[in-house]
Amino acid sequence: MEYFVQQLVNALAFGSEYALVALGLAVVFSIMGLVNFAHGEVIGAIAYSLLLTASVGLSSPFLAVVLAVLAGIAVSVALERVAFRPVRNAPTTTGLLTAFGVSILLQNMFQLLISPRPQAFSLFNGMSTTWHLGPYSVSSLQVMEFVVAAISMAALVLFLNRSTLGVAMRAASRDFSTVRLMGIRANRVIAAAFAISGALAGIACVFILARRGGVAPDMGFGLVLKAFVACVIGGFGSLIGAAAGGMLLGFIEVGLLAALPQEMGGLKEAFTYVIVTLILLYKPEGLFGTRRELGDKEF
Amino acid sequence: MSEAVFRTSPTRARRRPWWLVGISGGLVTAIPVVLIGIAVILIAPTYYQNLAATAAINLVIVVGLQVFMGNSGIAHLGHSAFAGLGAYGMAILATPLMMKRLSIPNAPFGLAQVELHPAIAVIVTLAVVAVVAVISGRVIARLSGIAATIVSLAFLIVVHSMFLHWPALFKGNQGFFGIPQVVGLPAILACGVAVIVIARLFRESPNGLQLRATAQNPQAADALAIDARALRRQSWVLSALICASAGILYALFAGTISPRIFYFQQVFMTLAMLILGGMGTVTGAVFGTLILSIGLEAIRIFESGGVVAGLTLPPMLGLSGVALGAVIVLCMALRPQGICGPKELDEMLSGALRRLRGTK
Repeated sequence: MEYFVQQLVNALAFGSEYALVALGLAVVFSIMGLVNFAHGEVIGAIAYSLLLTASVGLSSPFLAVVLAVLAGIAVSVALERVAFRPVRNAPTTTGLLTAFGVSILLQNMFQLLISPRPQAFSLFNGMSTTWHLGPYSVSSLQVMEFVVAAISMAALVLFLNRSTLGVAMRAASRDFSTVRLMGIRANRVIAAAFAISGALAGIACVFILARRGGVAPDMGFGLVLKAFVACVIGGFGSLIGAAAGGMLLGFIEVGLLAALPQEMGGLKEAFTYVIVTLILLYKPEGLFGTRRELGDKEF
Repeated sequence: MSEAVFRTSPTRARRRPWWLVGISGGLVTAIPVVLIGIAVILIAPTYYQNLAATAAINLVIVVGLQVFMGNSGIAHLGHSAFAGLGAYGMAILATPLMMKRLSIPNAPFGLAQVELHPAIAVIVTLAVVAVVAVISGRVIARLSGIAATIVSLAFLIVVHSMFLHWPALFKGNQGFFGIPQVVGLPAILACGVAVIVIARLFRESPNGLQLRATAQNPQAADALAIDARALRRQSWVLSALICASAGILYALFAGTISPRIFYFQQVFMTLAMLILGGMGTVTGAVFGTLILSIGLEAIRIFESGGVVAGLTLPPMLGLSGVALGAVIVLCMALRPQGICGPKELDEMLSGALRRLRGTK
């Protein structure tokens, strides 16, 4: 039972992390059809800016969390302005390849300007202690991760349903041209999508740093690949799908880790992707996607 | 009335059969490769011959990538997995038994006792890759654009982690050495030319034309009863076989391979080459590879640091990666067709010729 609860918390924590990143991708995709490969490098940029501010004397973890979210918003919106605006009306593949290029560019910039080697970052180390909830002992970090992810998703849902900009964003994900005819500025809606995506990346980044205790040039890349997979399982562009896909991926991974024998542990990734492919074979449009929605985005 | 309609399209009558266009066009497209290759073989020192051989192997991969990506319009990020499968197939089948006893003594399926002649090993490897490609192609062809791209990426990761974590067969993280080095620059160039012609043949064939139509307007192609899935499967398998032959060439040329070679680094580089040249045409693949191979070599001089033109420079790791990223981003923003545009080399030449005659 003890083991089961621990694995459950584990899966929830991994799932929340994937869900946060996947939501960041889905928000942007649902509005402008951009497959944002560079999202991982937004996370990387946030981590490096935290590293820099920590090296000049930032010592409060709370301030660092705020800074992470702000940095995420700034980097994400700046990327949209510089790299993605020129390809806004281009086919999906063009946007995807641009984002891929931005991702390679930034990853190598981190290598070039800072260091190819991982840098230690210890500001968030205090977040990880062991809590005793009744008979079970769980990691505080994992519980916090799940709770924070749930709160930020609730906030996102509230924003999308109650604020004018949020409603405009939801409408834009259905039919952008009509939204523009209603007198809503396209640039503002898209910038808002990137800002939300960046803020979610900031939150995710805090937990990644707390867990890994270090910053590396490719830290975001692998995570974003997983988040993509989460989005694809859930149905690309669907926000519920992204969150559910992320959770499902977390459960698949932890389940495999528990089920696979020790010497096959390295094949966890391979099995994960095989399972995901099988899910896609069963439902090519993803669990929460519909054919029509995909068709709209394609052409 | 129908005759009148036919007579109003005079180009129809003059059109050569597609296979003739493919072969002649392919040979014309390959001319720059042949010329540069001969020049390098005749005058360049050994170091540059090796660089040229690596570039020619990359050319084969880029052409293979073009066969799927250029015709179907679906971004493909898993092509290096096929190159890796080709290379490892050769490593496992063609490495001398003495070497194998050192590297993979406990290979499953009795493969530790197998030593085939390289030529037979090539055939067996291509057959195995074809089986893998047919199975993965069925999955890819079912999915729409983005999901297909992500699954191609998942395929790359699955294959890579198999190389890493199945040491009994693939020797894991360490390099696999002792593969017979039987291939030199001339043979690689010959394969490059052959592959260019094959890619052109596919592009000009009725199937290639139909596949390009599905990429441009899926609904219209659907309405013409074009089976997009079957065509995507075909081009996926052909692309996989071409990429695998690049891997085979690499193994037989270098003699040593490791999983790292066939991973993201190679994916980025070959993708940037194809995008720079223009993914719609085989010409684009050829010129993108030529330009970026030379450009990257120039950048590597700066990357390793040292003294350049009297200036002492620090090593700048990652500079070539920055350049690759910048190439992709700038091309996509400024010229999504690539620098060669939408026409093949022979079409450009004949167009220029016609204009010359017209002005005479």
